Formats: sequence, structure tokens, C-alpha cells
Amino acid sequence: MNTRSDHNDDIANYVLGQMDSANRARFEERLTREPELLRAVTALQTHFQALDDTVSAEPVPVGLWGRIDSALGQQQVLTAANTNTKPGVFGVPRWAGMAASVALALGVGFFSGQSLQTPQQGQAPLVVAVLLSDDMAPGAIIEAFDDDSIRIIPLEALIAPPNSTLEMWTLPDAETGPVSLGTFQEARELILGGPDLPAPQPDQLYEITVEPEGGSPTGRPTGPILLKGFARAPVV
Amino acid sequence: MTDTAAPMAVDSLVLAIADGDKSALEELFRLEAGRLIAVARRIVRRPDLAEEVVQDAFVAIWQRAGQYDPKYGQARGWITRIVRNRALNLLRDSGRVDHVDGETLDAMGDRVGEANTAYELMPERHALKGCLAQLDATKRKAILLCYVTGLTHGEVAAKLDAPLGTVKAWIRRGMIALQECLG
Repeated sequence: MNTRSDHNDDIANYVLGQMDSANRARFEERLTREPELLRAVTALQTHFQALDDTVSAEPVPVGLWGRIDSALGQQQVLTAANTNTKPGVFGVPRWAGMAASVALALGVGFFSGQSLQTPQQGQAPLVVAVLLSDDMAPGAIIEAFDDDSIRIIPLEALIAPPNSTLEMWTLPDAETGPVSLGTFQEARELILGGPDLPAPQPDQLYEITVEPEGGSPTGRPTGPILLKGFARAPVV
Repeated sequence: MTDTAAPMAVDSLVLAIADGDKSALEELFRLEAGRLIAVARRIVRRPDLAEEVVQDAFVAIWQRAGQYDPKYGQARGWITRIVRNRALNLLRDSGRVDHVDGETLDAMGDRVGEANTAYELMPERHALKGCLAQLDATKRKAILLCYVTGLTHGEVAAKLDAPLGTVKAWIRRGMIALQECLG
């Protein structure tokens, strides 16, 4: 068990560059899943950057950009090849490093929905929405029922990054604002029981965001949007 | 003489790089390469190695710009850390830069000067300067040598002619005091 002082020693050793490469790699791996630790490290690093800022810029050697540029050429080929083999590529919001693991997640999983209910037997949904990633790939279908429950049918693997959760939202109308329908770690077909809301309407917005563990701290979406779409009423 | 990048400009360049905009990377290079070479050279000393560090760092920035998260500070700090980490990797892991051989002891002499200069040049209003000023001179010197010039605890001990255990304790206590002061 790490004590608080071990914790601060780790932060200090990391920022001062005193870890060997194995420990540094281990510590950096922790940073990807411990937002509080990352915050503490970044705060200290930001203070220490005042020392880096005392340098005078040196002349940049002719040809250095050219060498970088040609190194990138090789990198791009690798990246393109990798992209084609990714199992579930959502448009990952560019700033969300954490969300990247959602895109890479391979996934046959099991439910762990918080507000899990029994599936609707033979009940027809009032509205259906296809949720799209920001590169317009369909990622999930949702069906909304008149008892405020939602059925999510993922079309791509959908797994929350470590220390975070996925949260389903809807926007009944602009005045009410976004309302949480529930959180889940990993989706295959699952049912979330939402709060008491007006019956879902055509054109109602549904979206799934990545939120901190336990769901959004503010009651509004705070994390990157993984998927979103507008409801349509089925013609039956 | 050299362009200095406004932190906001660096933020938006890194976001554009994350979208695969290579001209943004080239612009970032134009604005920041000179400064980053200087940061790397404080640690690796040799100009050719500093260049290599910055070259690798720009490739890493291109690959990893998507991981930059503005929630955790400005992009300028993020790219500086990539450069520092590369430089430290080169020092620690490659065995190409050996600070304990006779040839580099003189260069280590410069390092005390360089670490002090960095401290002196920090603006007075900066919290880190005020907090470092409150430390004993030995603790301050040991911490500055680690951060500014990338020396290990062992190298700092050799440089300050003090036992390794003592130097480790100075750095540890000094950092606890600093973290409290910066709190």
C-alpha cells in the first residue's frame, strides 16, 4: 500500500527526472489511469517549467526540419496500416487521450450497467436513434421506450477507459438541458432505466460521453462525446 | 531575433497537429525548435545529441498530439516535457553520455553554473523562485542540478562532494518543503 509520502516522493522523483526508464514507464502508465496523480504531476511540472523558460533559444541547424519531415513520412505509412486493423474505430475526440482506449477496445464483454433493468418484452420503442461517431460511422442504435428506459445496441465495441465510465444522455428540450439516462462500463445490448421524463420525441438528441468514475460530477456532460444521434419514430 | 511562441498559439498548433495538419507541426518547429534545443542541451550537453532529441521529440509530438489534453496544462509545457523526457532517456539509457568519466568532469563544473544561472534568471515574482529561495543553499543546489542539468542523485553527490544518502535526504526534504510551499 502506498503511503501519501511515497506518493509525493514518486511525484518529486518523476518531475526531477530521477526515475530509471523502467520506473518512468511504469509511472507514466499510472498517469494514464490516475487523473488525480496526473493533475499533481502537471501542477509541479508547470512550476518547474519556469526553469526551462530561462534558456535562450539556440540557432536551429539547417536540415533539421527536413530530417523530421522524412521521419514523419515513414510514420504516416505505419499509422495508416494500423488504422485499418483497429477493431472499433470511433472518432476519438482529439484532446481525449483517455478516450483513445475506447477506440482500441476489443470487445465481447458482459453487462455492468448501473441501472440495469429487464429487457422490454415485445414492447415497441417510441423512437429509435442511430448514434454516430464524429467521423459519421454508426456506433450504436438506441431504442427509447415510453417507460423512460433505453435499450442500447452497440455496433462497435464500447468500453470505458480505466477510471472512467460511459454515460448516456438525452436532451428532451433546450430548457430542461441534457439529462443523464444512466452510466455503464461496457456495452453490449443493455437496458438503462432513465429518470422520469416526457415521452421521447422524434429529433430528440441522444449521446454517449466519457465521464469520470461514478458519472459526471456536474450532472451535465463534461467529457468527450463518443457517439450522438437524433431520434426518429419508427414507421410501424 | 528568435520568435517566441505565445502559449495560446502553441495550444492551437498542437490541436491542429492532432488533426494531422503537418503545416502546423512545421510552424511549431519554427517557433519552438530553438528553445527546445537549448532545453535539451542543458541536459545532454552535446549539440548533436540535443538535435537528435529535438528531432525525436517532434516525431513524438506528431504521433501523440491526440493525447494532449488541455485540462492538464498548456501545450507548451507538454512539448517541453516530451523533450526533457527524451533527453533524460538518452542520458540514462543509451550509455552514450557518461558523466563520471574524467573527460566530462569539467563539463559537470559548468553544470553547477548553469543550474545557478537558471535559478537567477527566473523572474522574482515566480512562486518557484520564492520557494526555492527559502531552502538551504545545499538543498536548493541539489534540486537545481537534478532538474536543470538532468544529473542523477549519484552525480549530484559526486559534484557536491557529499555522501549519496545525505544528498538523497536533502533532495527528498527539499522537495517536500517545495511542494508544501507551492501547495
